[in-house]
Amino acid sequence: MTKSIYGPADANGVWVYLEHEQGRMESVSLELLQQGRALADALQTTLTGVLTGYALGDLPAQAVACGADRVLVAEHPMLQPYTTDPHTKVVEAMVREGRPDILLLGATPDGRDLAGRLAVRLRTGLTADCTGLAIDAERRLLRGDVVGFGGGIVATILCPEHRPQMATVRPGIFAQPEPNPGRSGEIRPFPVELTPDDAPVRVLERSVSDGVDLTRAPAIVAVGRGAHGDLALIEQLARLLDAEIGGTRVAADAGWIGRDRQIGQTGVVTAPKVALCFGISGAIHFTVGIEKAECVVAINTDPEAAIFEHADVCIVDDMFAVLPHLIEELSRLRAEVGAS
Amino acid sequence: MMSEYTRTGRKKLWFDLMSEAGIAAGDDDIIVLNDDSWEQVMAATHGEAAACFQCGVCTATCPWGLVRPEPVIIRHLMRQAQLGAPGWTEALWLCTTCGQCSAQCPRGVDISSVIVALRGLAWGEKQAPAGLPTLMWNLYWDGNPYGRPPSQRAAWSDDLGLHEFTAEDEVMLYLGCTANYDQRIQKVARAVVQVLRAADVRFGVLGEREPCCGDAARTAGHTGYADEIAANGSKLFREMGVGTVVAISPHCLDQFVHHFDMPTAFRALHYTQYMGQLIDEGRLRIEGELAAKVTFHDPCYLGRRGGDFESPRDVLGSVPGLELVEMPRNRDEALCCGGGGGRMWLETPASERFAEMRVAEARATGAEIIGTACPHCVSCLEDSAGSSMRVADVAEIVAWALAKTEPAAAEVAP
Repeated sequence: MTKSIYGPADANGVWVYLEHEQGRMESVSLELLQQGRALADALQTTLTGVLTGYALGDLPAQAVACGADRVLVAEHPMLQPYTTDPHTKVVEAMVREGRPDILLLGATPDGRDLAGRLAVRLRTGLTADCTGLAIDAERRLLRGDVVGFGGGIVATILCPEHRPQMATVRPGIFAQPEPNPGRSGEIRPFPVELTPDDAPVRVLERSVSDGVDLTRAPAIVAVGRGAHGDLALIEQLARLLDAEIGGTRVAADAGWIGRDRQIGQTGVVTAPKVALCFGISGAIHFTVGIEKAECVVAINTDPEAAIFEHADVCIVDDMFAVLPHLIEELSRLRAEVGAS
Repeated sequence: MMSEYTRTGRKKLWFDLMSEAGIAAGDDDIIVLNDDSWEQVMAATHGEAAACFQCGVCTATCPWGLVRPEPVIIRHLMRQAQLGAPGWTEALWLCTTCGQCSAQCPRGVDISSVIVALRGLAWGEKQAPAGLPTLMWNLYWDGNPYGRPPSQRAAWSDDLGLHEFTAEDEVMLYLGCTANYDQRIQKVARAVVQVLRAADVRFGVLGEREPCCGDAARTAGHTGYADEIAANGSKLFREMGVGTVVAISPHCLDQFVHHFDMPTAFRALHYTQYMGQLIDEGRLRIEGELAAKVTFHDPCYLGRRGGDFESPRDVLGSVPGLELVEMPRNRDEALCCGGGGGRMWLETPASERFAEMRVAEARATGAEIIGTACPHCVSCLEDSAGSSMRVADVAEIVAWALAKTEPAAAEVAP
């Protein structure tokens, strides 16, 4: 077996590689901060966030607020957007200098790309696409859970001798932390030396889909057959809540909403903080798409509607009678918040 | 093994044929054959496509040709399987495994099994369409395709007082994931229970322990995982001493008959088959009259694939007052509802839903009710029928007759 560049005795700390897009931290990176914090606490060590890019703004501070004790920041025009070679070079240098015990990345296209390269250069192992991470308290080792259909098994993988212990983590598995702006942490710039020779790939054009992504919407206002195609009040309500509009297959078939806004079995599976369901009966083909919502509010004229079995708040009334009250009250609250 | 020479030769032959036909061959037109891929495809499909002589009857009979301007060229998929050069096109995922093609195939090729095997290879190439990975994870984590908690599997039936199956019971009633989690299909399950009780049948269920049958995983292309589900299910059935299982969904029935490893004495029946038996034995007497005109939509997995067209018709025929009328496409020519083969988890534009066409055919018979006998058919047909026509499961129709009541509007409203 190839010898590790440094061994367990020289290794210290949990590192998480943080991805961002258009000035926003990717959700998987926030999840890594949350889980990384838990692992670091279990090992009684520090959590370091690794940020690479250019003009990163308040992302380092955000990483601290979300649980990092320290943020290593590498800023260089060639690090934005992500390309393989410059990032590999910079993160490899960071690891060689900082010698982390554990290095976690998101199992995203970029994260998987970078992790494989790094693992080879650092002569260590990589547990890919983990769905669970824990610390083996006795041996102070990272336990990565990897699942496979074929065998129908969960394999627990350890990397006992080589460092860092690397893993990529599937998005959406861990919870996101509640940011605490009062947390303090060290933000340390990392010197970057890159020449044009380091970037064999040049990004000529970047196109980011402007399509709606309901899977990431924190609030959703959903409509069904009961809306009868009249979405004027729904749109007002969605604006007040900064919510995305979604709906059932009936609503999509009728053209009231776009197909990319269809929720459910053959549409999108969403996980918002709150979902308001107007005029939706609640067939399972729809409810599978809001199952993961933290709070479901349902408004339906039929007290027997199945949607009420999935709702935290049930309103038995005509949606068009309820909407004006909701809009009035929310407008008042927004005005109060704006005034104070 | 083909030699390098043959491969190049074939490629050259292709070029020659193309230029003879006056077609400029671009790189896209060239299929490069590869021994490894060929062996992989042969192993996955068990060489099933070998008998195909490329007549194209499959393409002509495939129901997608009815709803799209261009048919789905099934013949190409068979040729790709023969050559060991599968293409990862949308066509691979459209198949509802309705079996219409195989019913007409002069060479008796089990065409949908080849398509499902190619899907399995597509998963390996990460070419599965969005939606199906969620289905697989739902099956894996929650043991049902809907991602609902396993602990809630039997919750809907608390008020029914069902008991866990014991070896003293005559039959084990297998409800299936859809009847357990889909509120609409729970009504069908209630009707089946009502009918079994009316015939004094001693039956039990498996409650929360009831396993998924594996149909969704199998038709999505995960044969290995489906085999594992079937092996675990068979083990549980054997341990429980199940002699006869009665299934609500013909899809589950298909798994029990073809993929469960059970003793030879084991019998798997669709509930319409069991009801037919109860009627013959004089145990189930339907005395209430139901004056309704009903047309029967054959579920593919009971009819073409299960080989039983008559049991549901016999049951309907024994309901006094009920008039059974046929759609022009019936029995082995019945049009699929569009919900099989994993299509329940993939979106279909309204203009391309077989069920829309099927409802129109049903309406043309003058019937008031479309009777069917499969949860997927009920969902698809009801979705397309809207408020224009009633869709009811055979069990519901029998239960209405037993209760001597007209179907209440609320019970069948979509």
